[in-house]
Amino acid sequence: MKKKLSRNQTFLLITIPVLALFFCFNTLPLIKGLMYSFTNFRGFGSYEWVGMRNYADLFTDARVGKSYLFTFKFALLATVVTNVIALLLALGLNGKIRAKSTLRGVYFIPRILGGLVVGYIFGYIFTYILPAITGKGSMLSNTGTAWIAIVIVAAWQSIAQTTLIYISGLQTVPEDVYEAGAIDGATGWLSFKNLTFPLIIPFFSINMVLSMKDFLMVFDQIMAMTKGGPAQSTESISFLIYNNGMGGGQFGFQSANAVIFFIVIVAISVFQLNFTGKKEEQL
Amino acid sequence: MKKKNKVAAVTNWPLTILLIAGCITVVFPLYMAIVIAFKKPSEMTNDIAGALSLPKSWSLENFAEAMRVTDFWHSLGYSVLITVATVVLAILIHSLAGYAIGRSMAKNKFYKISYLYIVSGMFVPFAILMMPLVKQTAQMGIDNWFGVILCYLVFYMPMNVMLYSGYLKNIPIALEEAAYVDGATTWTTYWKVIFPIMKPMHATVAVLTALGTWNDVMTPLVIMSGKGANTLPLAQLTFQTQFGTNYNLAFASYLLALLPILVFYLICQKQIINGVVNGAVK
Amino acid sequence: MKKRVIATALVAAMLIGTVFSASGCSSEPNDGKTHITMLQYKPEAVKAFEKMEEEFNATHDDIVLNIESPNDAMTVLKTRFIKEDAPDIIGIGGDVNFSNFVDAEMLMDISDFEGLSLIKQAYKDIDKNLEFVPTEGVYAVPYVANAAGVLYNREMFKKNKWEIPTTWDEFMDLCETIKKSGQQPLYFGFKDVWTCLAPWNALACDLAPADVCRQVNKGETKFIDEYGEVAEKMLELLEYAQDDPFAYNYNDACTAFANGESAMYTIGSYAVPQIQSVNPDMDLDSFVMPGCDNADDNILNSGVDLQFCVTTDCQNKEAAYEVLSFLLEDSTIQTYLDDQNAVPCKDKEFKLSPALDGMLDYINEGKMTDYQDHYYPSEMAVDAQIQTFLIDGSVEKFLNKFDTDWLRYNRDIIRKVQEYEAGGNK
Repeated sequence: MKKKLSRNQTFLLITIPVLALFFCFNTLPLIKGLMYSFTNFRGFGSYEWVGMRNYADLFTDARVGKSYLFTFKFALLATVVTNVIALLLALGLNGKIRAKSTLRGVYFIPRILGGLVVGYIFGYIFTYILPAITGKGSMLSNTGTAWIAIVIVAAWQSIAQTTLIYISGLQTVPEDVYEAGAIDGATGWLSFKNLTFPLIIPFFSINMVLSMKDFLMVFDQIMAMTKGGPAQSTESISFLIYNNGMGGGQFGFQSANAVIFFIVIVAISVFQLNFTGKKEEQL
Repeated sequence: MKKKNKVAAVTNWPLTILLIAGCITVVFPLYMAIVIAFKKPSEMTNDIAGALSLPKSWSLENFAEAMRVTDFWHSLGYSVLITVATVVLAILIHSLAGYAIGRSMAKNKFYKISYLYIVSGMFVPFAILMMPLVKQTAQMGIDNWFGVILCYLVFYMPMNVMLYSGYLKNIPIALEEAAYVDGATTWTTYWKVIFPIMKPMHATVAVLTALGTWNDVMTPLVIMSGKGANTLPLAQLTFQTQFGTNYNLAFASYLLALLPILVFYLICQKQIINGVVNGAVK
Repeated sequence: MKKRVIATALVAAMLIGTVFSASGCSSEPNDGKTHITMLQYKPEAVKAFEKMEEEFNATHDDIVLNIESPNDAMTVLKTRFIKEDAPDIIGIGGDVNFSNFVDAEMLMDISDFEGLSLIKQAYKDIDKNLEFVPTEGVYAVPYVANAAGVLYNREMFKKNKWEIPTTWDEFMDLCETIKKSGQQPLYFGFKDVWTCLAPWNALACDLAPADVCRQVNKGETKFIDEYGEVAEKMLELLEYAQDDPFAYNYNDACTAFANGESAMYTIGSYAVPQIQSVNPDMDLDSFVMPGCDNADDNILNSGVDLQFCVTTDCQNKEAAYEVLSFLLEDSTIQTYLDDQNAVPCKDKEFKLSPALDGMLDYINEGKMTDYQDHYYPSEMAVDAQIQTFLIDGSVEKFLNKFDTDWLRYNRDIIRKVQEYEAGGNK
């Protein structure tokens, strides 16, 4: 090597192969998937080009429309619930407590349990235990409450991951910030609002985006808890894309659904990132 | 340092107690899972007392049977191989990418676009990628564990790049500049200064990536499509057939699969905490 | 120096994939023998198939049979088709997937396979009817079937001296009697939507034409004209369900029935193993869903649970036929029956599970029709629509939606059918 690589050259040498890899295994198949959205492909065998038919259908399909409504309603509530609880939990677990490791370990377990276990156990809790306590019917058999039950389970599972990210974010807050704050008399809520929170905003925005995305793509919990019922009231967009695209013969149509869905989530996330980005700059 | 230790020694008891009380939300479902894993199918009833009662005997039969049915050690080895390889490569490659992109994107359009391009990949529903990926990996001859690892590297890249570049925002660039003055290149600065500082984030990325790959069924199922050995989650599908599910064996098997990843998490989270101390010292 | 090396290593890492292709590619073993791979979709029967494979390979020197029983086999199978790496023989169910495979021209015409003559005509007809557009060929060898209707607790029936109902009125009277005696007549697991299809299919066999879907595709009738009575009777059944049947799933219902919490359970023979896993000593039997007012009009609901098809990719038709012939030997079928609770499609007497006693006459007479849902496209989610209807209770709303949805989801098939019909009339 005769000459040292400049900082920029090094960055380029890192970025370009990574981008190439990403293109190869994400963008390339996405483009092929986009192609299928203009066909009546079933996932196998021969197919025909159908032009924009799938997209036209998409906007007139009541079931797809309903799934969008459900998914957004679900994702909004679940994102808020998850982030509020996770942030509190992260602050708690990062506090001056005993048995820190054990507690952190315990709170992480929900994320590890598989769909079958979660489905069975919460199915049991909602079907047998809760009705016995409240004296009301099962939340899962009522079209008005089934989605809330799914919010509870989905939040229960994803709080673990969200908390972990908040905890690692809290590690970047230097202790002296608190000490300096304490001298100024900032404690409790004020200390959090004025000192801690601004510093973990990057993690707040990451978590908002990640959990929003995870909840918009909710699938496992639906399969485990309701399989779209009762009365098709909890069919999420991913549920339709998987079940009808892969399991059923609607691969082409659901590819179109996935393309539109992709665009919608990107738009939401860009909005979210811009919003929190502005917040970051302000502070 | 001394002062800090003193502060840490004061335990916030109300908080500790509150957090311990909150554990019930995890411990209760876990208790149910453990009890079911020890029971026989004939002990399963539809009433609350039956579900919560202890098994008639604490025999490890279900666990032994579950291990036999899933060819446990073999499947475990495969799962470990895929997960470890993915995690190691993810930490090396994604942290580099997060560094290069994260450090440059404020000033340089190309990196800003690269960042958005990669992060947007997170929102592509897997269902749409699945069939084309299956075909592509088959054509490239990597419809095996290697292809699965490559796919994971790409699937987790958006999240990890986002996490790393987010973490870097709080790490002052001055740390690097000091190294430059000593004549180090960007490359060596990265490995000597930045990479160690990001330790808490490495641990976080390791946990999240490991979890995703450890529990994932779909990718190995469609990429390897029944050829080669099973990973643990693939082998566990055996317990669910079209018209019947053996919950007792399945739960025993899930609990067995949960242990390695839980241990891994506990190790990693030590790193998350240790990372702070190291960072503070420097 | 170091940077260049590592940077190149990164690029290389991506290219290693191509290198792996050489080692990763499965090369056909070159031992001069014919290799036949078979993929079957019932992982619960893996033990039986392992035995069959062993037996076959022990008795055949020139053919090596390899049977795969992967989990989630339908997904695996579809990915194999995508990879153009299809197995020679596939063991699948006689359902809409089969119809799609035939329609997509992925299966070989095996009408010259001699073993077909050994199969009960009723099952061959069932498979024939599954083709969207009738073809000349034969694409499957029906192997075993299952049957659905009403499972009942024989012990409870004996103790209370209840009679097996043969007409709808008798059935409703029986339910009323059981209810009055303070016991639970029926238990449903409607939280799992697919279980809504079990009584639906069984009633539709009695009350609707077997080829109703094909008639609709031809434009000859509408579902609202054919399914009205089926829907009404579904609502009547619901009167005798446990409280809130939509809160319990298939597994709950199996457990409840196994523990004697209900006298009857409208489900198929496929549920017997799950029920017996909870209560191995349970004495249970079945009867045909008595949907008609005249006992002689009742028809058993039975469909092909497992059939073998040869794919168009198969290079060795002769060897594949050899495998099929082996599978149809009495001893091989018995191996399967010993392991799995099923009704063989071969026209010969086998010893069946006592849980099928009440359906035996119908099976032997061939008085049966297929599950209606085998003709429904799965993406239309008829099961979920039935659940919606049972919660909502409006027959008209449900069947009108059924008709409009049907046209929408089957558009391409209907077009093909009508093109075919038009062509046939010329």
